[in-house]
Amino acid sequence: MPEFKYTNIERELSVYGYDSFIKSHCRMCHGGCGVIVYVKDGKVAKIAGDPECPINHGTLCSKGLASAQLAYHPDRLTYPVKRIGPKLSGKWERISWDEALDTIAERMLSYKQKFGAESIVLGYGTGRENEAVIYRFANLLGSPNVLTAGHFCYGPRIATSIITCGTNPIVDYENHPKCIMVWGNNLVISNPDCYKGEPFSAALDRGAKLIAVDPRLTRIAARADIWLPLRPGTDAALALGMLNVIVNEELYDKAFVAEQVYGWEPFRKRVNEYPLERVEQITWVPRKKIQAAARLFAATKPAAIQWGVAIEQQINCADNDRLLIHLMGITGNIDVPGGQVLCEPPRIRNVGYFGAHRMLPDIQREKRLGGERFRLAGNFAIINPKCVWDAILEEKPYPVKMLFFISSNPVMTRANAREVYRALEKVEFMAVSDFFLTPTAELADIVLPAATWLEMDYIGDFWKRHGYILPRRKAVQIGECRSDHAMLNDLAHRVGQGEHWWDHFEQALDWILEPLAITWQEFKNMDYIRGSLLKQKYATKGFSTPSRKFELYSSVLERMGYDPLPQFREPPESPYSTPELYQDYPYILITGRRLPGFFHSENRQVPWLRELHHDPIVEIHPETAKKQGIREGDWVVIESKRGKIRQRAKFFSGMDPRIVSAEHAWWFPEKKDPGHGWDESNINILTDNAYDTCDPAMGATNVRTLLCRIYAEERQS
Amino acid sequence: MKPYGLVIDDKACWGCKACEVACKQENNAPDGLKLIKVLEDGPKRVTGRLQFQFKVQACKHCAKPACVKACSFAAISKRADGIVVLESAKCTGCRSCLEACPYAAIVFDETKEVALKCNLCHHRVDQGLLPACADNICLGHGIHFGDPAEIRQKIAEKRKLRGGRGEIIPKAISYSRTAHP
Repeated sequence: MPEFKYTNIERELSVYGYDSFIKSHCRMCHGGCGVIVYVKDGKVAKIAGDPECPINHGTLCSKGLASAQLAYHPDRLTYPVKRIGPKLSGKWERISWDEALDTIAERMLSYKQKFGAESIVLGYGTGRENEAVIYRFANLLGSPNVLTAGHFCYGPRIATSIITCGTNPIVDYENHPKCIMVWGNNLVISNPDCYKGEPFSAALDRGAKLIAVDPRLTRIAARADIWLPLRPGTDAALALGMLNVIVNEELYDKAFVAEQVYGWEPFRKRVNEYPLERVEQITWVPRKKIQAAARLFAATKPAAIQWGVAIEQQINCADNDRLLIHLMGITGNIDVPGGQVLCEPPRIRNVGYFGAHRMLPDIQREKRLGGERFRLAGNFAIINPKCVWDAILEEKPYPVKMLFFISSNPVMTRANAREVYRALEKVEFMAVSDFFLTPTAELADIVLPAATWLEMDYIGDFWKRHGYILPRRKAVQIGECRSDHAMLNDLAHRVGQGEHWWDHFEQALDWILEPLAITWQEFKNMDYIRGSLLKQKYATKGFSTPSRKFELYSSVLERMGYDPLPQFREPPESPYSTPELYQDYPYILITGRRLPGFFHSENRQVPWLRELHHDPIVEIHPETAKKQGIREGDWVVIESKRGKIRQRAKFFSGMDPRIVSAEHAWWFPEKKDPGHGWDESNINILTDNAYDTCDPAMGATNVRTLLCRIYAEERQS
Repeated sequence: MKPYGLVIDDKACWGCKACEVACKQENNAPDGLKLIKVLEDGPKRVTGRLQFQFKVQACKHCAKPACVKACSFAAISKRADGIVVLESAKCTGCRSCLEACPYAAIVFDETKEVALKCNLCHHRVDQGLLPACADNICLGHGIHFGDPAEIRQKIAEKRKLRGGRGEIIPKAISYSRTAHP
């Protein structure tokens, strides 16, 4: 029997006749996994995981494996285009990079002069490792308005953890947590921010206990020692209930609480407002299970909470995040091996510094859209999307004239899609940088061809909080595609920011790395750099908060005029907050369960990935389906107060029959008209973005929990 | 000689389907046809508990393959190392093997009118390379290539240590029906 070994690079090269291989860092989601890219005749021939990468240990997801099919897709945009007909005419003409960037620069300078830099909004979607250059560009332009997913994705984790304990606590998988509580997260399917699914899976293989908080029976929930199937949107109440058990049964870390926390007494009082009887009524989770989970989590050391975006896309966004940090903290799991570590990143010029936030003049910062309403968000340079749509449609508080979306498809991914669409139809000038002509790009004036991760040099995981940076090395050039970084570096020179940028973007990488006394070329020859791993830094240095303590009672929120203690708010639409509406829309709709192969609105055109999941699927409990006369596989109408869409029914008994679970971000690249079916199955036709339904501090839109009705399509009259 | 086999620890499967794409990247089966396929099993009630897991379907390279027997054109054969190989070039498209296979592991390419199945990447194995799906792709480390008896023993050992084996409190899906004031 021959000796087989994993990822046998030398043999792959000789057997398949590849010309070379390049180790790199995938970015089919937020970045993270080390990869090996095999190249033949100047083209990517095969992609595999890099066993030496500490994030994925050689494993790789479907998206990473299909990257070449995305990169070489026949529909991919490989040169800049400008629209030559009216919006949605679908008429595009090839132009040169010079013409494209000169046109964009000219528009920017003219709007800046006439309406102020704040009339130009730059945007990106979820984190794609281009945020640092986009913020740098906007800040130097003088625009306080960068529209991202930050109001309801990851931004809240950063903001709430900074005000609570100084930085985002990361699960320390490398030191083997003995209990993991996975809260509203399916990290083995989805696109988690720091570590990926492999180290989590390995922790279970070593015997870790598992608690799952999820309204749906995911495989993680099915494997859990305790599964807490909560009513959607009641995470804050559940966390308060668990804290109630931990506080009243004195299961907390007494030394930590005595020495390190700020606001224990008022916190204890608040927690006591949530006895388990009340929490059971709110959450629908039997009190005995809540109690058992709280005891298991508090009694097992070290323990960690694996969280994600689901708890942030709710009205309780900031308090949900804070409550989970409080659970980590008072159980003594902050900054201990195998718990949640506050990592020290390598001493490079970090994302915030590179983003040039300090170079935005105060007078411009004060104009940040929604900054007075959503004050925690405003403090972290994050804006609520509706503020931008209002500024375009109503010109309030001032007109927004130009949008520049880089790796963003807001027509699919922002709440109240019809309003988004109207705003994008109305805005005077819009540029987009993307891989394809998406439903958003179809509304643009100029579309730039963005490079995939295979086509760029960059410092991977630059913005992450797990303490690693890893080189992303360019493997190939495709058409005229350019990285967003190189594109903005070029554009910056054309709008008069040249002195703050570089002749070539590689010099920016040198500048980022300079404090470590290495260049990009040197970093390129390394596997990764990791920051220092001091544990329990707070014991000597305190926490980086105003009180130098772990703040259960937030002095920052208090100063901003918010409740300094966490609370539960009933979802804006629910059987209890809107009982009359519930008569007409008798199901709780949850949205956005994660699917293998897709990353939000991406990859529907990549055959190997679309094949994993061909249609938008709505999961319905068999009892509910029977009641509604729906058969499995039917196209059904899902309707909210705001509109209706269609998805295909699939029976799923792993949730309460009162819940319906639909998918998000569906469009149909195979439909060749400029709409590409953007409003047929788009969940955001159903969602609301009214300000009073958003998280008061972060401006997070509540897209995860609403009320709906559902019926088979042929019944439509 | 010990036989080769592909053994998948279904209990370790998270349903991420990376194995499906790894197979596509290597074997490029036509659109819609999968030589390895992740299927959902459940949710279903088993002894009062709600279970939900994935089952990975691929050719089992049976000891006594029904497909070999069913094929009148000798397009399917079992090698000395245990790998059952279907040679599309010899396939006449009669579909007897599809009917014979008890695991529904053979698919049919309507365009070329030939049957297809997992040949355990024998073109790789013969060169000392692991099958694409078993080459450390799986984040649950649940896809194993080698001597099936040895692997099964290894999986049994792993399962003894493994956490996350289901609810310690029975009747997991007992929702509280009390009303929220």
